Parts: sequence; structure tokens; C-alpha cells
Amino acid sequence: MRMSEQESITTHQAVVIVANYILGVGILTLPRSAAEQVKTPDIWLSIIIGGLIAMLAGLIIVKLSQKFPGMTFYDYSQQIVGKWIGCILNLIVIGYFISMASVMLRAMAEVNTLFLLEETPRWAMIIAFMWVGIYLVVGGLSAITRMFEIIFPITVIIFVLIAVMSLKIFDINNLRPVLGLGIAPVLNGVKTTALSFSGFEIMLLIVASMQNPKTAQKAVLIGIGIPLLFYVTTALMVIGALTIEGVTSLTWPTITLIKSFEFPGILFERYESLLLVIWMMQIFTTFVITHYSAAMGMARSMRKDIRPFLYVLMPVIYIVAMLPKNINDLFHFSDSIGKLAFVMFVILPIVLLGIAKLRGVQT
Amino acid sequence: MWNMFVSYLPDWTVFLQALIVVSIPYALSRMMSMTKNAAENNIEQDDQEANPQRDFSGRLDIDLDRMRTEFGNQADLNIRTFCLGNTNQQAAILFVNGISDRDLIDKHIMKSLMVDLTLVGHEQGRDVSSPPFTKQYLKNNVLSVGVVKEVDRFTDLSSELLRGHTALLLDNSNASVIILGTRKEITRSAGEPSSEILVRGPRLGFNESICDNTTLLRQHGEKTNLTITQLRVGQRVTKELAIVYIKDIADDNLVQEVRERVERMNLDDIQDTGYIEQLIEDNYLSPFPQVQSTERLDRVISALMEGRVAILLDGTPFVLTVPTTFNMLLQSPEDYYERWIPGTLVRMLRYFAAFVSTFGPSLYISFISFHQGLIPTKLALSIADTRAGVPFPSLIEVLIMEIALEILREAGLRLPKPIGQTIGIVGGLVIGEAAVQAGIVSPLMVIVVAVTAISSFAIPQYNAGIALRILRFIAMIFAAIFGLYGVVLFFLLLCSHLSKLISFGVPYISPAVPYRLQDWKDFLIRAPFKLMKHRPKMMNTKDPLRRK
Repeated sequence: MRMSEQESITTHQAVVIVANYILGVGILTLPRSAAEQVKTPDIWLSIIIGGLIAMLAGLIIVKLSQKFPGMTFYDYSQQIVGKWIGCILNLIVIGYFISMASVMLRAMAEVNTLFLLEETPRWAMIIAFMWVGIYLVVGGLSAITRMFEIIFPITVIIFVLIAVMSLKIFDINNLRPVLGLGIAPVLNGVKTTALSFSGFEIMLLIVASMQNPKTAQKAVLIGIGIPLLFYVTTALMVIGALTIEGVTSLTWPTITLIKSFEFPGILFERYESLLLVIWMMQIFTTFVITHYSAAMGMARSMRKDIRPFLYVLMPVIYIVAMLPKNINDLFHFSDSIGKLAFVMFVILPIVLLGIAKLRGVQT
Repeated sequence: MWNMFVSYLPDWTVFLQALIVVSIPYALSRMMSMTKNAAENNIEQDDQEANPQRDFSGRLDIDLDRMRTEFGNQADLNIRTFCLGNTNQQAAILFVNGISDRDLIDKHIMKSLMVDLTLVGHEQGRDVSSPPFTKQYLKNNVLSVGVVKEVDRFTDLSSELLRGHTALLLDNSNASVIILGTRKEITRSAGEPSSEILVRGPRLGFNESICDNTTLLRQHGEKTNLTITQLRVGQRVTKELAIVYIKDIADDNLVQEVRERVERMNLDDIQDTGYIEQLIEDNYLSPFPQVQSTERLDRVISALMEGRVAILLDGTPFVLTVPTTFNMLLQSPEDYYERWIPGTLVRMLRYFAAFVSTFGPSLYISFISFHQGLIPTKLALSIADTRAGVPFPSLIEVLIMEIALEILREAGLRLPKPIGQTIGIVGGLVIGEAAVQAGIVSPLMVIVVAVTAISSFAIPQYNAGIALRILRFIAMIFAAIFGLYGVVLFFLLLCSHLSKLISFGVPYISPAVPYRLQDWKDFLIRAPFKLMKHRPKMMNTKDPLRRK
């Protein structure tokens, strides 16, 4: 071919990648997990603060990546902290991406079993999903990026549609009082909400292939800003419609919200199918990018072609996805991954940046 | 601790499933790469057989003898020997009956060589006795034919003869042959192509002659930068092929790539541009047409103006334009001839129709078989009522009707026009009605299938319509297995495929992605001309502005 197979990523493509990656399970579970922590209707404040923290962390990651132009985290980790520690760091990051991919798969299967396909076995759903995924990822990062860009506008349109429709049962009184118990519960929830913004860590990898790495800051800010908007809207809608007490008792409050209103006379009466459709697409994007990132980590560490690693990872991801025994197990698993993410992608980049500055590592 | 660990150890079935997860796609990918390698190897086996060089002797009797033996005494090869003017210098003309213009040969060539040619015209003051007339002299002063050239190889001569040109051999001259352009073509007039009919717009389509077709392209306004490069393709049956582009718009890399791919294809006979399309496309496993073929002049012109490259082949009215992108399949020239509001609306309607024709039946299956709860209760009740007598699951029900309809459509194409229409209407109505009455299918299903079929006719490109028809069946199978989840999965698969597909270096899915607001003005909507200042950015043109 006359043009290179892998094109570089433009700024808005980077925005779409970050936004799509973040919008995963969060949109369905965030209202509940945040409500459990905050216990007041102020969770939207926690979400905003969480988002701001994520933005800050994202900026640090971008800063770190920009110091090593054309290199991904997997390449420069060894330069900063030496071969062995760098290797271990890479392994942890790969493990993180694998677990993320698995959690996505399992969550998808759980929601499907609950709302769409009661009798279809989980393995069948997961295997089909992974096959579609592998078909895309072997096309490389540019194919993945294009796919993300197709899905993104569909998500936005349907989400706005659903948000407008749920105004029907929205009651502003459910959101009052604002800061009724002070700021303390709000801060209590920030830990949970910040975790739901994990996804910005993809900047560790994609800044390297960006057309214009200088705009990465902008990309990460907007990329987190879009999900922030989605999450705040969702939280407001869910709490406004179902009250804070109602939300804490539900597993998937967002779906329940959509189920609870009806517009008789229009083509459908219930719209949770629409939400599930865009949600599955979002899960797909998250799954695909984590699968690809994990494989890329292995390929980069061993300096080999990525393709075999994409295939090697498939059974691994599948087995990890089947490990949790039930949905509570899955949530625990996902929480611990979130905590790992916090350490890995908020604290570690600061440390690495510090070491790089101190040692004056040159590329 | 250990117990907890053991309790999480997965079952052996999970490991088995994990093996299935990886083995099937891996095996598939290996198979695909094997076919690809095979295809590439074929290309590399370029047999570059050097043409045997057969120069002419310059003596007429020897050359004519050789011509006869080489041609194997073809019945339609006409050899006429005569004397030039009123001298005794022997000459011969050769032409193939039928494909040469006899009128031109008789009235101009023969007459000027035999009658009008006199020694008086020869005033060079050279020795007249040993060859009285040189080829140079004949070419310059005698032959009143537009296209004249000399060849000195036998293979060249025979190919020129077979294309309808006339050869002139002289006795006692240098070892070359004069070729006179006397090609005659049987063409039809340039009428409106029946496969792409518009309400408004030029009623002009290409025909089978490459000469006429390039004429049509030239005729369309004065364009000094329209470049037409001619190549000869086909190993056994050589034909003329033209690569057309606008020099100061089209990307040089693109033109080079098209040239290389066209030169790389080796087939003994290329009958139609359809052959070329399949030999130069990027991915032959894709259901989507990656090269646009059209009979309409205006489509080709507008593609050229966007920086695309057109490929014309002698003997077919279908012209290819590359690179093709997804939006081209759903565009019609009429979008631009009408005002922008109707143009936009019709275009959006087409996108909707494409969606319905791909996903209509699969959504029906998934809602009826899996998610009855998502349909409004009243509708669900009435569907249940009409479906009560239907003995089949919805997939079989849809398959029966869809396949019947596809057969009808195929049959309608083959039949003569008036009968074809009757069969279509009668067949559709009668079979649908009868199937409902027989209780094989439900009435709602007939509506779904009918709407789907009509939607697929709304797609302006025939081959794009076929692609969506194929995809519809795959979508139905996905829906039958996984319901709505299957439909979403299929949608993701389709999008994955589209995002992986590249046509001549341009992503097939563009201009949808990557996001370029400039290109979107001519995608889902057709913006007013005042706003469309730029050529599509995806084409990487040399002159990005349409208007200064």
C-alpha cells in the first residue's frame, strides 16, 4: 500500500477514544455506587469533583507521555525506573487492562441475562462478543479509532433522547436539599466517582501515535468532560426520578429509571432497549480498547508483532471473565480494579514524572 | 485462603470454551491470510515472454507470404496487391473485412494510391528508377488519412490489423509497414442508461466504445486539465483502457496507485470493467462494492471533480471511479440538481431506507421471538392474535417470505420487461396474500418484508443494494440466535468491517469518520452550494477549493 496502514490519531479522535473508553459500565452503576457512599442527593457534586480529579490525573499522564515523544508507557517505563521495575510495571498495567476487558465482558453478559436474554448461556454471549471484538482489533488502532467515531454520535443522540424523555418523571424536589448534610458526605463519595472515570489512562498509550501530541491536554480534558456531562445528567435524572433511597436498593438504577416511564402510542412503550443498545456499544468500545492495549503492552515489551498477542489474550480474558461467581463478586472485582487503577494511574504517574525529572532521563 | 482460591478455580468447560474462543477466529484468520498469499503469488508470476522480433524484409512477395502463413489464411484478411500510380512499383494493402472502414479505403486510400498518384508530383529531383516512391513521400504527400504510423514488427502489425486498421506494404523499400487508421466501430447512440434513471438531469450515458466515451468526457465543458492516459490490457485479447483524471485536482499518489494496480492485473481477456473492479479492489472478501461503476456521465464528471480517478474500458458502458466511499453508494446526481432542501430530505430518506432494508426483518425477529415485552401491549396482543395460527418460529417465517421475494426479484430481472413487471406485482401480492391465508406467515410479517423490499429498491446503486440484501440475511441469523443483542452485535460487526475497509488508501467509511465538518456538508445532508466551498478533504486533492 502506498499509505501507511496505521494513520496517526487526530485530536478529536483522541477525545472520542477517551470518552468512549470512560463511558462503560459507569453509566448503569455509577448512580447506585455513588449513592451508597454519599447517601444524600448531592452525588452529582461528587461526580463533578471526581471528574475534576480525573482531569488532573489525565493532565499528569499527558505531561509524562509528552516527555517521551513517540513512545508509549510500555516503552518509557523501563527507561525511567530501569529494566526490571519497568517490566513489573508493564505487567501490572497489562494485567489491569486484561481485568478491565474481562469485567466489561462479564457485566455485559450479566445485564443481558437480566434484561434481554434470560435463557441464553453467558458463555455464548461472551464468545460471540469476543469474536466481533477480535475482528476489529486485528485491524489495528486506526480501525479501532474509526469504529469509536462511528459509535460515539449514536451514543450521544440516543442518550440525549433518553434524558429528555425521562424528564417526564423527573422531580426536582428529590434533589433537595443541596448540601443538606454539609460537604463531608460529598467528599466521601468522591473516591467512588473518581474511579468511574478510569479510562483516561489510555492517554499513556495513544499520545505516542497522536498527530499533534501538543494538543493532548485539550484532548484529555474534553475527553473526560464529555463523560462527566453524561454522568452528571444520568445521576440527576436517576436521583430526580427515583429518589436517593430508591437508587441505593437497585442494582442497575439507570435501566430501572427508563423502565419506569411509558409513552403509550409511540412505536415502543418502553425504551430501556435503546439504552441497552448504546450501552452495549459502549461496552464494546471499552472492551476492544482494553484488549488492544493489553496486547500492545505484551508486544511492546517483547518487541514483537501485536497480532499473535491479540489471539493469545483471548482465552485469558475469557477465563478471567468467567471467574466471578455472581454479580456481587463482579462488583467487588471491579471495585478492586478501580482501586488499583487509582494507584497506578493517579499516584504512579506523579512518581514517574518526579523520577524522570530527577534523573533527567532523555529519550 | 486455599479453599477460597480453589472455589474460584473455573470448571474444565470454561477452559474448553476459552479454547474455542481463540481457535475459531485464529483458524479463520489463517485461512484468510492463506488465500491472500495465494492471490499475491499469482500476481508475482508475471510471465514476461519477450515478443519474437520479426522484422520485415522489404520485399513484397516474401513479406506477403509470411503474412499469409502467420495469419493462418484467415478468411476475413483481405490482401490487395496493385501497382502504385502508373508505375510498376508493387504495393499491397491489408485489412480485415468488416472492422475496417471500406468506404475510406476505397475512396481515399486506394484512389489516391492508384489513380491520383503520378510522377509529376514527385519533384524532389532524385533518382526515380529504383524506388520511385518512398514511404516518406507517400505519407507526406499522398495519403489523405488522419492517423498514419509506421510499425516494423509483425506482432504490432497483426494487432493493428485486428483493430481494424489498414497496412500498406511497398516493394523495394525499407523494412517497415505503414499503418493507416481505418478503424470502424459499431456503436449505439448515447442514450439514458436504463439502470440509473433520474427525473431531472442530463439524459446521457456511456456506450460501448471507449472512443465515444472519452469524447463524452471531453465534450462536457472545456477542461484543459482532463488527462486521459491509455493503456492496453489483457494478455490474449488486448483491449484499450483509459485512466482519466483531472491533473491539477487528483492526488498523484492515487493516480500512480491506480496505474500500478491496473498494470498488475493479468488476465487473458478482460470483458468488462466488472473484471477490473474485482482485480483491483482492496478486499475481495467484503460484501461492499469498493469501486463504483456507473453508466452516467454526470456521475463520472462529478467524481473527477472531487479528485477521484475514472477507469474506462473499451467494450463496456460501465465506468469505474475510485476510490469509492460508503456515502457514494447512497448518493444520486439528482441530489445536486434539485434544490438543497429536497436533496437533503431525499438523501436522509435513503439512509433510513438502507437501515430498514438491512435491519428490518432482523428487528422483527428479535422483537417477536425474544422481546415481546418491548412492544406496546396492544400491538403485542394483535400480533399474537395474527400469529396464533402460524406454525413456524419467526426466523423460518421471515426466511420463507424473503427467499420467495428474492426469487421473484431475480425472475423478474430475466423476463422481458412487460412480463417482468406483471410477475413482480402478481407474484408479490398473490403469494403474500395466499401465504397469509394458508396460515404460513402472519400479515405483519408480510408488511415487514414488503417494506424491506421497497426500501432496498430506494438505494440508487444496484450493487450496493445487493450488498445490503446479503447482509440482511446475516442479520436475521444473528437476530434468531441472540435477539436484540444479536442485532447490536451484527451492527458492531458491520461497523467494524466498514472501519477496517480501505479503498485505494481512503477509509471506506469516510466522510463519516474521521470527523471533518467540511466533508459532512455533503454526507447525510446536501448543503446549499454557497456553503460547499471545498472538495472532499478525504481525497487529499491538490486544489482543495471549489470556489475561490
